[in-house]
Amino acid sequence: MTSQAREWTGIQQFPAATQTKLLELLGKLKQEDVSSLTILVLGKGGVGKSSTVNSLIGERIVTASAFQSENLRPVMVSRTRAGFTLNVIDTPGLIEGGYVNDQALDIIKRFLLNKTIDVLLYVDRLDVYRVDTLDKQVVKAITDNFGQKIWNRGIVVLTHAQLSPPDGLSYDEFCSRRSEGLLKIIQSNLSSGFGSRMKKHETATTPVVLVENSGRCNKNDNDEKILPNGVIWIPDLVKKITDVVSNGSETVLVDKKLIEGPNPNERGKIWIPLILAIQYFFVVKRIQGAIKADIARENKPLWELRDMGLAKGKF
Amino acid sequence: MSSLTAPGQFFTPSLRPRRKSTAAASAASPNPSPSTSAFRLDLRTTPSQTPRQKCIKSRILLTTASAATGLLLQFGSGSGSGSGSGFGGGGGGGGGGGSWWRWVLGSIAYADDQGEEGRDWDPHGLPADIVWQLGKLSAFKKYKISEISFFDRIRTTTVGTEDSFFEMVSLRPGGVYTKAQLQKELETLATCGMFEKVDMEGKTNPDGTISLTISFLESTWQAADKFRCINVGLMQQSKAVDIDNAMTEKEKMEAFKSQEKDYKRRIERSRPCLLPAPVYREVMQMLKAEGNVSARTLQKIRDRVQKWYHDEGYACAQVVNFGNLNTKEVVCEVVEGDITQLVIQFQDKLGNVVEGNTNLAVVRRELPKQLRQGHVFNIEAGKQALRNINWLGLFSNIEVNPKPDDKNEGGIIVEIKLKELEQKTAEVSTEWSIVPGRGGRPTLASFQPGGTVSFEHRNLGGLNRSILGSVTTSNFINPQDDLAFKLEYVHPYLDGVYNPRNRTLKASCFNSRKMSPVFTGGPGVDEVPPIWVDRSGCKANITENFNRQNKFTYGIVMEEITTRDEGNHVSANGQRVLPNGGISADGPPTTLSGTGVDRMVFGQANITRDNTRFVNGAIVGERNVFQVDQGLGIGSKFPLFNRHQLTLTKFIQLKDVEEGAGKPPPPVLVLHGHYGGCVGDLPSYDAFTLGGPYSVRGYNMGELGAARNILELAAEIRIPVKNTHVYAFAEHGNDLGSSKDVKGNPTEVYRRMGKGSSYGVGVKLNLVRAEYAVDHNSGTGAVFFRFGERF
Repeated sequence: MTSQAREWTGIQQFPAATQTKLLELLGKLKQEDVSSLTILVLGKGGVGKSSTVNSLIGERIVTASAFQSENLRPVMVSRTRAGFTLNVIDTPGLIEGGYVNDQALDIIKRFLLNKTIDVLLYVDRLDVYRVDTLDKQVVKAITDNFGQKIWNRGIVVLTHAQLSPPDGLSYDEFCSRRSEGLLKIIQSNLSSGFGSRMKKHETATTPVVLVENSGRCNKNDNDEKILPNGVIWIPDLVKKITDVVSNGSETVLVDKKLIEGPNPNERGKIWIPLILAIQYFFVVKRIQGAIKADIARENKPLWELRDMGLAKGKF
Repeated sequence: MSSLTAPGQFFTPSLRPRRKSTAAASAASPNPSPSTSAFRLDLRTTPSQTPRQKCIKSRILLTTASAATGLLLQFGSGSGSGSGSGFGGGGGGGGGGGSWWRWVLGSIAYADDQGEEGRDWDPHGLPADIVWQLGKLSAFKKYKISEISFFDRIRTTTVGTEDSFFEMVSLRPGGVYTKAQLQKELETLATCGMFEKVDMEGKTNPDGTISLTISFLESTWQAADKFRCINVGLMQQSKAVDIDNAMTEKEKMEAFKSQEKDYKRRIERSRPCLLPAPVYREVMQMLKAEGNVSARTLQKIRDRVQKWYHDEGYACAQVVNFGNLNTKEVVCEVVEGDITQLVIQFQDKLGNVVEGNTNLAVVRRELPKQLRQGHVFNIEAGKQALRNINWLGLFSNIEVNPKPDDKNEGGIIVEIKLKELEQKTAEVSTEWSIVPGRGGRPTLASFQPGGTVSFEHRNLGGLNRSILGSVTTSNFINPQDDLAFKLEYVHPYLDGVYNPRNRTLKASCFNSRKMSPVFTGGPGVDEVPPIWVDRSGCKANITENFNRQNKFTYGIVMEEITTRDEGNHVSANGQRVLPNGGISADGPPTTLSGTGVDRMVFGQANITRDNTRFVNGAIVGERNVFQVDQGLGIGSKFPLFNRHQLTLTKFIQLKDVEEGAGKPPPPVLVLHGHYGGCVGDLPSYDAFTLGGPYSVRGYNMGELGAARNILELAAEIRIPVKNTHVYAFAEHGNDLGSSKDVKGNPTEVYRRMGKGSSYGVGVKLNLVRAEYAVDHNSGTGAVFFRFGERF
């Protein structure tokens, strides 16, 4: 994989200030013995996944189109810089025709086979006011397919961050509300999951990053892209990524087991003899007993009882 | 005389002995002898008046339309109206194995039929309105009697024909009799013990006929306050003690005393009879109310006692004697109809007795033991025998026929006559079908000859073993396209025909083709390409029948399962419709092996407990079924699984009702639960599906999902209306979150909910249920018509 990885030249396109910050963060990672980073980007179609990848790498590697989903297959972009490898996996949108596109998910999973995911970027737009069932379905699909653990490595990325919020709301308030809505479904997904061993406070820390991929993004004096709330977002994104990497949670290895899910056909197989024995002794035997009781209790016609000498002149 | 009593003669020769001497003694002595003497009273019954005769004359006809079997439980086969004419295998309409009982009252043949033709009686040749005594009649003339009246000398009234005495007389108005016949009748009346004195008087009529007046003096005895009923069946009749007028008083006393002693011994020896205490009390009250015991009282008692017997099905029971009269206790002697012999015989088509092919033990084990020697014959036992034998399906005609035993007084021989069905049958039925040819137009080649060839060889070795096979195809020219076959061997009485344990071995080879409900779309999903599941294989199982309804079956199944798509190609995966409208063949896997063909061997067991019964046509009771399919690890991918289902259904009667024909059925609450689960390898064709008329009504088959574990709950309330019922129901089906545990998750792939409820109302119209069911997932309702019962 590393052999294919090209030198990360895109980083030079960033303003000097950004470059410094990035290198600083990467250096920190190297200190922690992390020499490679794989980032998976997931989200609905048309929310700006590809653009975010392009912005992060600093190159136009993935064709991003505003009107149609160009990439039907996942694409992995690998870049190395000073012995550090950055892999970013861009994926097709998970929603197609109002439903979660199982096929797309399938393709993604197969693409990810035997890869370790360090960070999940869940991408959605900031300028959407409501969280609907579709969002829930996407989050659920991700959880079902990659396991709940993936959210420990998750970052919610909200694109189109350069917006003027609706009347009466400050920018910060709007952002926090929007992110709250999304985090809530992620959290509900985790807690509702059967056998969840997650603790709430763990999931509550899923960070949120605001992103503006547009070239019209406001810039500060150092020519760095800046958001309406004054955050310089590229370093912020990378910082959050490094934070997640170093938060101590497990990385997610996509192996065969994860792709196919636990094989339900194997579960409980060894208990079959025991189950069979229980069925025989506690179900079949009981029903047999009930049948015997029925037969004994059966209302015999009077003539039969008389014949058996049970009447004793009473009937 | 003999011709007059023809319909009743069946029993009379043995049951109505003439005990002239004793009877004469009582009748002849005008002043009742001392209280110590025992009197007997012979009771005669003449046709048509007593319930017994009706019973004897009646036929019960059972015909089963489906098997064209005629069954006959017959009484009094020797009597008048042709016994063979009543039945004929009902080949006609009549649906689905229903059987019905019909009482056919035989016509009562009177002897006076002989007088019908022409004028074969002689006019009296006397002037009209002359009163004469019997002795004055000419011995050579046949007199026609136009009218009979009775004159009670005690009450000095003429009694009507409704009086119980009327039945004592076998003469009928309009009949033609000779003097000898009339004299004999008078003698019979005089000796029967009912009368102290009887006279016959005639009056000539202008048209040459005569009017007869019978004047009588009823016998009466001392008042009694006790009643006893004894069973004298199979006992020797007590010896008559001749009391001669020539005897001295002392001798007479002694004779009476010995008679009395004999009678006491007889009472002691007699067996207790079945008559219950309430009837005893009733009779006692009758005695109390009457004061002196009169012949009429005795007749009333006899009628009451016999009525009880006949109502309870003891069709051959009869009161034969009253004894111990003129004491405090009236003793009623009853012959209950003890069975002395059970005869099973086979008949050929012409009714000749032949040696049958069927082992007698096969028939014998179906008979209730109440039909065996030493038990009292009861018509219900006869009916049960009829039903049980019919159940064997071996006979085209079955008759159960009680006959008096000539050798044992009061004994009954139960005769079972059977006509065997043809052992081998073969059947070919054909049909032509026209399939659209090229361009949709039928061509010569598109006429397809199809049909069924079947054969059956039953009752192998006389032990009810059978082989049956059938092949069905829609195209004989290319049978490989679509060929259904079945070959089955049934071996009953696995533990021996004499062993009461009833186990049946069944081995069969089969194939079947069904559309899989697993590959069905949920609501709003366009058509999902269907998957056909072909199964072919062999199985062998043993069924232990505890009784008709309860059974335990266990066996082994070996089968090959092939899944095919619409084009009849083997398909390893279900197809799915892509969002862009295309179809991809990478849906959920259809088989365990992943090739589209699975072979496996597994054990199968099923236990059914069913104590349901019908209360005026409404089903009431409980039914539990547990079924397990146990994979043995033999077959493709070594399938090891335990697939189990438990079904509990309870029919709760909500109101106590009186049972009987024509009475309204009670309202019934039905509660139903079904759990299905599987541990281990679960191919899609074995997944449990939710939705459908037998799962959750209001949905299509499999519309709710296909899962590893399911739970279905249903409640239905049935309210009888007129002669049918209306019902309301609510049902729920749930996959318990186990849809994802089926490989490929077909529930989700075809966008099904995995659970759903429905409710609705319906009405039962004969076999069809018409119901309106609301699908709770979408909230829409629809009307359905279904055949058969849901539970």
